[in-house]
Amino acid sequence: MSAFLLLKRMLETRLPRPSVQWFRDACTEITDGVDDVRFAGLVAMASRHARDSTPLAPSADELKRANETLEGWNPERWGLLEALRAALVLTRSDLDDDRGVLAVESLFAFADEGEQRALYRVLPLVPSPERFAARAGEGCRTNIPPVFEAVVLDSPFAVRHFDDGAWNQAVIKAVFLGVPLWRLFGLDTRLGPELARMALDLVDERRSAHRDVQPELWLCLGEHGGARGTEALLKELDASNSNTMGRCAAAYALARAGEGERLVECMENEADSVVRAAMQEALDGNVASTVFRKLRPEEGA
Amino acid sequence: MRFFDPHIHVTSRTTDDLENMAAAGVRAVIEPAFWLGQPRTRVGSFVDYFNSLIGWERFRASQFGISHFCAIGLNSKEANNEGLAKEVLELVPRFALKEGVVAIGEIGFDEITQAEEFAYSEQVSFAKDHDMVVMVHSPHRDKKRGIIRSLDIAKEIGLPMAHLVIDHNTEETVKETLDAGAWAAFTIYPHTKMGSERMVDLIEQYGPERMIVDSSADWGVSDPLSVPKTAKRMVERGLDARTVELTTWQNALDAYAQSGQIDVEALLQKPAIDQTQLFADNSVLRGQAPRVDAPVPN
Repeated sequence: MSAFLLLKRMLETRLPRPSVQWFRDACTEITDGVDDVRFAGLVAMASRHARDSTPLAPSADELKRANETLEGWNPERWGLLEALRAALVLTRSDLDDDRGVLAVESLFAFADEGEQRALYRVLPLVPSPERFAARAGEGCRTNIPPVFEAVVLDSPFAVRHFDDGAWNQAVIKAVFLGVPLWRLFGLDTRLGPELARMALDLVDERRSAHRDVQPELWLCLGEHGGARGTEALLKELDASNSNTMGRCAAAYALARAGEGERLVECMENEADSVVRAAMQEALDGNVASTVFRKLRPEEGA
Repeated sequence: MRFFDPHIHVTSRTTDDLENMAAAGVRAVIEPAFWLGQPRTRVGSFVDYFNSLIGWERFRASQFGISHFCAIGLNSKEANNEGLAKEVLELVPRFALKEGVVAIGEIGFDEITQAEEFAYSEQVSFAKDHDMVVMVHSPHRDKKRGIIRSLDIAKEIGLPMAHLVIDHNTEETVKETLDAGAWAAFTIYPHTKMGSERMVDLIEQYGPERMIVDSSADWGVSDPLSVPKTAKRMVERGLDARTVELTTWQNALDAYAQSGQIDVEALLQKPAIDQTQLFADNSVLRGQAPRVDAPVPN
């Protein structure tokens, strides 16, 4: 099933009836051909038919279908209005040629925050998404965390289409902004020495400033941290560190670095039951990036 | 108490102001597009300004639990640069239909010129065609004539009077505005516009229906707490709770919610300040409390 059809079905079961009719009429109008101003007007006025505060709330089956449509596409946290706008964009039949690209770029040029979120979310779903890599890079320069999340999280866009520089910047900026890095699809497939170095530099900066290290920063090391990484992790794991979530993260990260034996040694003297549980889980091999979800209680892990 | 300040240029205000507004109970604001103290010379300046009203300023306010709406339009002063005005008028439809854009505004008259009348009429027509509300700036000089002209043109074009808010009223203009069926807004702005005491006098005289209090706080000597301060004065002078509520919250909400661009249900919920957004090092809250009696925290 195409992304458009899946979104259309989700919308038709959720929107009030008059709004479903508006959506169908808008699709017809767009398919028949509209100028850029009218197209932008329809995308804007979608807010009269779906509220930004209403979640899309996809079912488990719908989430499964989304991932089948495009691996890494996860609309779990989409809003209803974002879905409506995404569907309006995907309605265009000219997205695979320059005309469609220009129309989408024109939307970006005048987009408010909600529209920006919707547009960035739809980028991985358009044909040849790599044409929008520079645009997505621009999105990463935002200071508005929800917009940044829309570019980077729950989507395969970054892992597939960002060059190494943009990718590393996006990963570190996610930690910097405090957005949940574990939701960056494909993180574990694109770790490397440069990213590990950037992460360890940030660790040093945080410690010099007497600030806790963000637990998810340790995700960036993988097996590329070297001796410097192992040393930093052992320091984080030390019993004198009162940041329990950071200690748990270091346990996972030590296992991710292939330092299982060190972890076993640490565990022998570990008194904190929460940290012990994380160590055991790490030793059991449950160390994919998504395990870091547990370090964010607010995520309802 | 909760307050709706339906006219404030938050772009010109600091985070200290936003903190104080939130603490005083200001839960929602409308930021109408206006001039920036000096004229712009390029249409691109308007693109970026309008973008900031629907983007960064909305986000900035949200971090303090304040819902930020805006009005889009070409103001009267800059309508007199006719070449630029034409370009900006073409731009208005790109922004006016956005989520949270609750009106065309602030538009109207400054010197009451032909060019101003052209821009005003064009924008009122757009508002009528798109079922929108209009926020009218009334002039400092020759105010009464400016208001009467604004009302007459809107009537000729066929804009429902319930969709018209005339702002910066005075004792001399309130009757015309109310008799026409429009909403009468008052700007509590020291020295040049209206003071709290006179405002309470007017509410006592005319009652609270269709009467709206705002601050129009901007880059001049003005007060972003004008609305809560005036509400306090109303309470002190014995006006009833309903009157205070209507003039400092409900009337503004009723007038501008006609745009369909206010999620009233979400607004009425307790304001949620998103801690993850507050925490962001790169956002406007950089961890410091703006106080001089304590060192800068880490």
